[in-house]
Amino acid sequence: MASADFRRVADGGGAGGTFQPYLDSLRQELQQTDPTLLSVVVAVLAVLLTLVFWKLIRSRRSSQRAVLLVGLCDSGKTLLFVRLLTGLYRDTQTSITDSSAVYRVNNNRLTQGNSLTLIDLPGHESLRLQFLERFKSSARAIVFVVDSAAFQREVKDVAEFLYQVLIDSMGLKNTPSFLIACNKQDVAMAKSAKLIQQQLEKELNTLRVTRSAAPSTLDSSSTAPAQLGKKGKEFEFSQLALKVEFLECSAKGGRGDAGSADIQDLEKWLAKIA
Amino acid sequence: MLDFFTIFSKGGLVLWCFQGVSDSCTGPVNALIRSVLLQERGGNNSFTHEALTLKYKLDNQFELVFVVGFQKILTLTYVDKLIDDVHRLFRDKYRTEIQQQSALSLLNGTFDFQNDFLRLLREAEESSKIRAPTTMKKFEDSEKAKKPVRSMIETRGEKPKEKAKNSKKKGAKKEGSDGPLATSKAVPAEKSGLPVGPENGVELSKEELIRRKREEFIQKHGRGMEKSNKSTKSDAPKEKGKKAPRVWELGGCANKEVLDYSTPTTNGSPEAALSEDINLIRGTGPGGQLQDLDCSSSDDEGAAQNSTKPSATKGTLGGMFGMLKGLVGSKSLSREDMESVLDKMRDHLIAKNVAADIAVQLCESVANKLEGKVMGTFSTVTSTVKQALQESLVQILQPQRRVDMLRDIMDAQRRQRPYVVTFCGVNGVGKSTNLAKISFWLLENGFSVLIAACDTFRAGAVEQLRTHTRRLSALHPPEKHGGRTMVQLFEKGYGKDAAGIAMEAIAFARNQGFDVVLVDTAGRMQDNAPLMTALAKLITVNTPDLVLFVGEALVGNEAVDQLVKFNRALADHSMAQTPRLIDGIVLTKFDTIDDKVGAAISMTYITSKPIVFVGTGQTYCDLRSLNAKAVVAALMKA
Repeated sequence: MASADFRRVADGGGAGGTFQPYLDSLRQELQQTDPTLLSVVVAVLAVLLTLVFWKLIRSRRSSQRAVLLVGLCDSGKTLLFVRLLTGLYRDTQTSITDSSAVYRVNNNRLTQGNSLTLIDLPGHESLRLQFLERFKSSARAIVFVVDSAAFQREVKDVAEFLYQVLIDSMGLKNTPSFLIACNKQDVAMAKSAKLIQQQLEKELNTLRVTRSAAPSTLDSSSTAPAQLGKKGKEFEFSQLALKVEFLECSAKGGRGDAGSADIQDLEKWLAKIA
Repeated sequence: MLDFFTIFSKGGLVLWCFQGVSDSCTGPVNALIRSVLLQERGGNNSFTHEALTLKYKLDNQFELVFVVGFQKILTLTYVDKLIDDVHRLFRDKYRTEIQQQSALSLLNGTFDFQNDFLRLLREAEESSKIRAPTTMKKFEDSEKAKKPVRSMIETRGEKPKEKAKNSKKKGAKKEGSDGPLATSKAVPAEKSGLPVGPENGVELSKEELIRRKREEFIQKHGRGMEKSNKSTKSDAPKEKGKKAPRVWELGGCANKEVLDYSTPTTNGSPEAALSEDINLIRGTGPGGQLQDLDCSSSDDEGAAQNSTKPSATKGTLGGMFGMLKGLVGSKSLSREDMESVLDKMRDHLIAKNVAADIAVQLCESVANKLEGKVMGTFSTVTSTVKQALQESLVQILQPQRRVDMLRDIMDAQRRQRPYVVTFCGVNGVGKSTNLAKISFWLLENGFSVLIAACDTFRAGAVEQLRTHTRRLSALHPPEKHGGRTMVQLFEKGYGKDAAGIAMEAIAFARNQGFDVVLVDTAGRMQDNAPLMTALAKLITVNTPDLVLFVGEALVGNEAVDQLVKFNRALADHSMAQTPRLIDGIVLTKFDTIDDKVGAAISMTYITSKPIVFVGTGQTYCDLRSLNAKAVVAALMKA
């Protein structure tokens, strides 16, 4: 009976018929060999499959759709976060932990924009490095928020944190795009983005000398700090491997609680990198 | 009465705010967050800032913070209960919004909590008013007014005073307020006779009541009579014979012979008894040689093992299931769960040389942060607590202000004035040695250094610095730096005033164009008031750019005392509005401790100032900067 079926099947399909004897022989061989070899083959296949799945999952997780909002304390990160997501004004306090939400980029050309994950990190000195460590590997872009009104007073602290962030992101596998957002432009004494850029370049120039001259850390296993820009020449942001841009914005907006924020440039930039 | 009440998420979004006064509440709340929550001082939940007292509560499950602020001079008793009630109500009402991970739900949700809050506030205020002091009873309400006057009259003539004494004693013993006792008390109180006449009618109607009361009174009076009889009886046999000697069963025999010390013996026992004690005196062990100290740790371990073994065998089955239950599924942490783990971590920290109070405060703060938090799957209580403790330790060690001396020196260079650093500390911690190391480091980076020898007390202090200067000069001779002397010693010998020498040194440095002035002071104990005053004067008069406290890593609980007293002395003797306190810490002798690095934590916790340098030896190259992660890893290592 079985043989009759085989012959019919073999006669029936043309291509199927050519494969059929191979399948038969394979089946016979499998039945003849020990069960141990079979189990070994199955195990190897299972391992290969899990490896493939794992790679897929890992690649999906590190697809890097996160945009980090970093900056000093009181620079307006949380309010910027709120404005980008909802456009409303909310009172904020000093953040103790991070907040994250999905942000839909509204592209004028496309009806349905891509989505990014906005992550607002706390700016307090004791927390900022810890949170940066945690999130930097999934960062597609980093927005460094600067308080333009208090910049003159805080220039050294801003430069130090910026130096730290730049060094960390240079060490990453896929370098994120950088944006330095000069916030609080609604205040009368706010500095312009150009001035901030010049001042930061000067500060970073001296910082890379002093940082490399600092005494080495306790465990001498850590490598020497990376060098920013080119040695011998004055530091400029264009010398970096990362793309650094400057723009002005105001999270509070011209009219405070009532009006909308002046963040169109920021939204355009986000749409560009998405 | 409350100034404000805010509810905000830990990510910084204010969810709801009630403002009793027109001032904004962000300032005090930010101060609260910065000083308490971020510095791991979250043990007790209240904090004073200027004129306000702030009480707060953390909700770790949903990452919320509840803060209430009121005037410091008021003592409101209902605040704690109010916070708890508000917390519970808010959590239940808005559970869906606050439960989600994304911040969008918090942003989009409207938290219309005003009415509920006002209701709870009203309830809390009323409940505090209920326990007002009760008004005194009027005479008409009291029981005395209800009784007929007739019953209070003393009709008996026999021994009214004795009656009074006995009844008073009984009243004191029973401390009850029964009717008959009250009447018996009332009887002696009403010594003076009351008018008898018009109460006849009343007495007749309440005759039975009075008779009953009189019977009870007679009973008690009779008992009293019996007692007095007993006492007289006991007196009688005593007078008959001598006092029988008391026999102590457990005590030694108090023989007259032994207690009689008039016979000449050595130490109360005759010579014959000495021979048997010789072996006891000698003890067991080799006679002449000294034996090495034998670590008897094995005994302790054995005892511990024995005690744990029976408990382990008893609880294996239950423990296994409990462990599995704890691993899988989400359960929220409570204080009892964390209790044992926190105790172990506290002991571990103390064993690693962290000061005891600081270890206690740290564990309290971690418990506060974790209470009510929902653990993820496959994480035990131990691992969660350890993780939280590690994060808070790293947080403490992160510097609150910038630690970059070279950058500040460059600034001072541009302003054409020297950068002044003062080293202070107790005796023998390594001030002069580390001063020499730091000057070597500065020389290597191309800055010229003037060393001011303001230690005019210790013998050889100036010579020590002179030797260092000579060696550093040999390493960096003027020829290498264009004819400029890179390092020089400024000294005025011994016995002079340190503050004066420092002032002259700074003026000299300004004239000669030195970049940095390193001022070495004498070591002093923190309890020595005149010396602390002298140090405070030196710092106030010369206003150095950096005041470094040099502390050794071997110090244990002493570190807390040293730093607190040094800071207090500097603050007390300063004339300025904001006194100059210790700006940074130099941790020395770090190579002598292998992993007992707790002193670093103690010092940064007390002052919240960064550790600028770490000294790891006595040569010029043994200067390091602190690596927070390495130190915390060494601390948490078992």
